[in-house]
Amino acid sequence: MNRLVLTIILLTAYIAVTLPLSASLKSRPDLVKLGYTPSAEVLKYITADQKLLAAQWNVLKVLFYYGTLLDKWRHNIPVAAEYYNMYRTICVAAKLDPYNIDIYYFAQAAFTWEVGRVKEVNALLEYGMKYRTWDWYLPFFTGFNYGYFLHDYKQAAKYLQRAAELSGQQYLATLAARYYYQSDATEMGIAFLKTMLKQASDARERRMYQLRIQALSAIKYLQDAVRKYIRDNGHPPRDLKSLVSSGYIEKLPRDPYGGHFYVDKNGKVKTTSKLALHGKNSDNPK
Amino acid sequence: MQHFKLIFSATFVAIKRDRLLHALAGASLLLFLLVPVISMFSMRQVQELAITLFLSSLSFTLLIFSILLGVFSIWKDIEKRYIISVLSMPIKRKDYLLGKFAAIALFLMFTVCLMGIIGYGTITFAAHQYQSEIPVSWPNIFTAMLMSGAKYILLAVVALLFSVISTSIFLPIAGTIGIFLAGSATQGLYEYINSGSGAQDISLTGQYIIKALYYLLPNFSAFDYQVYAAYALALPLDTIFYTVCYWLIYTSFLLFCASIIFEKKEFR
Repeated sequence: MNRLVLTIILLTAYIAVTLPLSASLKSRPDLVKLGYTPSAEVLKYITADQKLLAAQWNVLKVLFYYGTLLDKWRHNIPVAAEYYNMYRTICVAAKLDPYNIDIYYFAQAAFTWEVGRVKEVNALLEYGMKYRTWDWYLPFFTGFNYGYFLHDYKQAAKYLQRAAELSGQQYLATLAARYYYQSDATEMGIAFLKTMLKQASDARERRMYQLRIQALSAIKYLQDAVRKYIRDNGHPPRDLKSLVSSGYIEKLPRDPYGGHFYVDKNGKVKTTSKLALHGKNSDNPK
Repeated sequence: MQHFKLIFSATFVAIKRDRLLHALAGASLLLFLLVPVISMFSMRQVQELAITLFLSSLSFTLLIFSILLGVFSIWKDIEKRYIISVLSMPIKRKDYLLGKFAAIALFLMFTVCLMGIIGYGTITFAAHQYQSEIPVSWPNIFTAMLMSGAKYILLAVVALLFSVISTSIFLPIAGTIGIFLAGSATQGLYEYINSGSGAQDISLTGQYIIKALYYLLPNFSAFDYQVYAAYALALPLDTIFYTVCYWLIYTSFLLFCASIIFEKKEFR
């Protein structure tokens, strides 16, 4: 009897303490840090036969860190992103396990649009292609980067052609052909992101793509209206509000990255957010 | 032969009854059950991560088992002076040593098989969660598991050798861990000094030392087939054949050395 009473008392006390403790820990200020990763050469020797695990651990560390950053930014909490450290960490992971697809997906998703390190990402993707010889995604990413970001349409077509050959998907060959003529970069960006979203299973990754599609769709919507305005009036509008007042659009869309859309003197629609959540204060060395 | 069988079965039964090993096996099983859950954190390679986690957990479990069994099975007999009464019987020292080795080797392979059954379930479950474009290659996974088992049998022999050399427990434990780490790194270092930049960065003496260690120490990285298992790469059959031959020769040589030392060892 005494034992039962004691057990009940202890259990009640445990619950009574755990619930407020858990609530108070939630409100504790977060220290969002990625931390130091030893070089791949050192890790290769000290991890013995656990290299693949060490590589995946580094990738997961970066994914969790980036996921936390996205959450902070979405709630307008300014946290400086350790982009250089993130890139270095996944490069270490790539040296430990060059077959790991998460490395290339993450590099493509995080370091091209957000940070503009397209050449570095392409170098990483080309490194991955030496190992993942069957994978059409890597030439697909590389081709897209060449076309969309670097405007090197010849290279873009070359890689997309390779992706089409590996995957057997006809639309990639069509996309490769379109790159030769470069019709509409924004539209191509949306098409690329929709392909990525379709394949994505990870919630963080999906959120990233959805946000980007939303922003690019808004830009495309505005850009189409500006084009119509120029066709009718012979010059671009002074600002985007005049598109609403002259009936070309119903209302101005919202930039999901927190910026404001504007039209430059050449009639190109841009945003003050530069399609990045963090804006500034990152460690991305230009 | 009869004495060998006697020592073998007595050691195997003792290992099976060891409570510490039961606890460690329980912890490993828990680790295996977590494999599908942890794998879900991966963006695109849930199945590949599940295979990696499974093989890593298996490797870690075998590492602990091989060090514990290799170091303690003879050392405990010496420390508790059982060995004097055992060897006072008409049992050859060689049979005693080989019996111990065979029981440890069988137990390690038994662990591989048992964990393999659990691994089959966890990998299948994880693979169904997210369809990977790479198929699950069971022959590759089984090869990686068997190679892992062979590697840790070799490590257990290293531990046995140290335990017959030393009367203290520290040398066998530290020596085995040291040989394991060095033997896992020599292949990488050897490739590095044979690369252009490595030959420039390391002095000639350093290169000779690395080469000597490469040929002298057991090459544990030769048994690492995790990447073939996780990404279903074509297995290099000639390399597997050479590795198996290497394992047979190296293990036999170490057992031979251990038996010579053990024959000459005095017990008071």
